[in-house]
Amino acid sequence: MKQDEGAAWSIFGYLLSGLLFWGGAGWALDHWLHTHYFVLGGLLLGMGASLYLIWLRFGRE
Amino acid sequence: MKGTLNLVGYGLSAIGPAIATGMIFAAYISGVARQPEARSVLQPIAFLGFALAEALALFGLVLAFVL
Amino acid sequence: MPLLRFLSQDGEGFVPPSTSDFNLPPVFGDNPYTTKPILLVFLSVIAVSVFFILASRKAAILPSKLQFAGESIYGFVRNDIARDNIGHEFMRFVPYLFTLFTFVLTNNIFGIVPLLQFPAMSHVSFPYVLAIFTFIVFHYVGIRKQGIGKYLKDIMFMPGVPKAAYILLTPLELATFFIVRPLTLSLRLFANMFAGHLLLLVFILGGDHLLKGVIGLKLISPFAFAFGIGLTFFEFMVQCLQAYIFTLLTALYIAGALADEH
Repeated sequence: MKQDEGAAWSIFGYLLSGLLFWGGAGWALDHWLHTHYFVLGGLLLGMGASLYLIWLRFGRE
Repeated sequence: MKGTLNLVGYGLSAIGPAIATGMIFAAYISGVARQPEARSVLQPIAFLGFALAEALALFGLVLAFVL
Repeated sequence: MPLLRFLSQDGEGFVPPSTSDFNLPPVFGDNPYTTKPILLVFLSVIAVSVFFILASRKAAILPSKLQFAGESIYGFVRNDIARDNIGHEFMRFVPYLFTLFTFVLTNNIFGIVPLLQFPAMSHVSFPYVLAIFTFIVFHYVGIRKQGIGKYLKDIMFMPGVPKAAYILLTPLELATFFIVRPLTLSLRLFANMFAGHLLLLVFILGGDHLLKGVIGLKLISPFAFAFGIGLTFFEFMVQCLQAYIFTLLTALYIAGALADEH
């Protein structure tokens, strides 16, 4: 059960870093180009990427 | 009173993932307790469900600050 | 509504607790290095040292109560945290994990000890320093064990993924290992201690303020105090749990760095 707890926290970390990295990239693009839709795309991309990574790491048997 | 309503909205939206996470792990724990050898089958499913629920909670957290 | 207004008219002077309640003035004169959190950290170091020196001084086959208490804490960290997670090399890391656990636990519990009643970890700089130590330890261990090239390659490129996906995944792995892990490790401890102390402040100060109100409010204030006492026991549980989680995650990070493939 301890490894499970560690896995749960590392899933949380992956999701957070996905949202922060790609969402942050989208936010920077918005800031640079004076638009307002890249941040949403970046957040969705980051969430997809982190879910893919979590599936690779924890979902495969 | 000062502050932003975004955080109230985030608090409300976090209720759903909180209940979902609790239910996922409750089901996982009782499943493993009944049949310990089913653990390797249940573990990926439980973690993927947890990841999906948690993704919504974090999405709400980020949007509460971005919007 | 008039009744409500009557009941709440004495609530005007109530100042809800805020972050300014955490910025305590220096204890001795104007010296900024003698604030309460710093003194509590020093006190915790002294308390932990004295306790374990006394507990281990007269080690006997038939342990005294003090020796038993000390040995059960040590055994908990060594067996349940270090050995079960790290594997056969665990003895190297027991001193660090044990120091971390006792230090964080003592400082957390100072949050509910009467007269001290301030968790030093509710100032974010203390958890930051602890997380930086853990960060250095687990990366150093991983680099020493596998060499810097292989260690970074294991982090950045996981096998069995199409090449194009690395553009998406490698930044995430790097951000997780080098930024998010120490950040969440410290912020989790900080946020729990901060919120717990704020919660206790709300109930105790609120009960105290209700006691000064009209008769109807005086009758409510025992409930606020009762909730405050109940939450104090809840806080005790949270404080022990957070010290345990901090140490457990440190052990798991070290185990991950030692393992050949993640």
